[in-house]
Amino acid sequence: MSTAHAMSRGLTAEWIKLRSLRSTYVSMASALAVALVVGVIDTASVAQHWATLSPSERASFDPVGTSFDGLQFGVLAFGILGVLASSSEYGTGLIQASLTAVPRRSVFFAAKAIVVGATSLVLGELFAFGTYFVGQVMLSRSDLDVSLTDPDVLRAVGGAGLFLAAVALVGLGLGALIRHTAGAVAVLVGLLFVAYGLGRALESWSYLPDRLLLANASLVIGQVHVHGDHVRRIPSLGLAYLDLGLYLAVFLGLGAWRTRRDAQ
Amino acid sequence: MITVRQLTKRYRSTLALDEVSFTVVPGRVTGFLGPNGAGKTTTLRIVMGLQTPTGGRAEIDGRAYRSLGHPLREVGSLLDAAAVHPGRTAENHLRFLAASNDIARRRVVEVLDSTGLADVARRRVGAYSLGMRQRLGIAVALLGDPPVLVFDEPLNGLDPEGIHWFRNLMRTFATEGRTVFVSSHLISEIARTADHLIVLGRGRVLADCAVDALVHGPGSLEQAYLTLTGSAAEFRTSPRGTVAR
Repeated sequence: MSTAHAMSRGLTAEWIKLRSLRSTYVSMASALAVALVVGVIDTASVAQHWATLSPSERASFDPVGTSFDGLQFGVLAFGILGVLASSSEYGTGLIQASLTAVPRRSVFFAAKAIVVGATSLVLGELFAFGTYFVGQVMLSRSDLDVSLTDPDVLRAVGGAGLFLAAVALVGLGLGALIRHTAGAVAVLVGLLFVAYGLGRALESWSYLPDRLLLANASLVIGQVHVHGDHVRRIPSLGLAYLDLGLYLAVFLGLGAWRTRRDAQ
Repeated sequence: MITVRQLTKRYRSTLALDEVSFTVVPGRVTGFLGPNGAGKTTTLRIVMGLQTPTGGRAEIDGRAYRSLGHPLREVGSLLDAAAVHPGRTAENHLRFLAASNDIARRRVVEVLDSTGLADVARRRVGAYSLGMRQRLGIAVALLGDPPVLVFDEPLNGLDPEGIHWFRNLMRTFATEGRTVFVSSHLISEIARTADHLIVLGRGRVLADCAVDALVHGPGSLEQAYLTLTGSAAEFRTSPRGTVAR
């Protein structure tokens, strides 16, 4: 039995699993709703009040980043999609059926990661481009909109979608590592949001912890330029992508390791 | 055929299995008996590749479960009827399992029909009764039409009609030449169906014999079983008053 063939069967099985649960549709629909609603409100507000904004407020305006104000909350839904894909197997006991069907743990975990990663990448890019275009329509009322052909715009919009997929995979690794939905979601929220405060607390010592945080990496990845008074907390674009790679390596690695242990 | 050789499983300080060896041969129903906590489920989980033994090995027709290319077509199992996602329909549960082992889609319809679940196949499993989940578990076991069948406490939750149906099913499988291995903690559940018994107590094999051979002289099968396992009960109070396995 070739590994390639075992993998292709594993991918089909995982794809059927992901498509056949209501939670997949609910989490993605809620991510899209929040991204669009908050994005529209923020871009419309900027467009409406542009004439009265102060010079410093104008300087910190990012035509792409402002469209993504809502997508930053949608991140949590992508992370939870990933968490559920693995933690629900353990929570419901389904893991027993899954592993008797696909007993090679490396094939099982890799197939799940590929299906969740690919699905969330496609949806993440759709959401990012959709939110971007809707945002530009609102901004065009005050001629603040940009085009995908402008410098760094395509890079920022594509990067925002990629970031969503990366968070989904971090969630998948956490779910496989912790095997409990609530625990894994709590750690995910900690990584995405609570860690920001921890980074701030360490600033008198070093800005490096700030620059290793997903929240700060997402700012440079999903914006055309970084500006304002928090610029020292933000990693360079290269370091931001290195951060993503590190998070993926650590959490997918831990998830793969735990998956090889006895499935209780 | 299922072969278990010197199987040992240790959880920290607890020795769950202590050099367990036995063979389950095709063409008959083999009952796997023992009080709660005797190590039956641990043994079956190791046979099915879900747990790694501390020592020894378990093989299906000479091969470790994890090395099987299409495991569902070689071994069908029902270890825990709750091993389903409550939000998924029975049909989708069977479909993903079929896809993972190159089993034809039409086989999903067949096992749904033969287990009496065809009418509820598109309902989410969360709404199922325990008996319906048990039937779904049996449908999963039959999905790959396998020569070896392993059932852990399959009668739990089945109604009298379901029990009757399942007993006949096991007899039919054995007559067809399949290997049928069924665990239970109640000898009365299994005595009339099984040809052969393997009795486990405190992680050791206490008996491996034909059903008839378990009764020595006068007394019921139940009595013989209680005598055999009496010294191997799961929980006993230690002198310090703590409960130890």
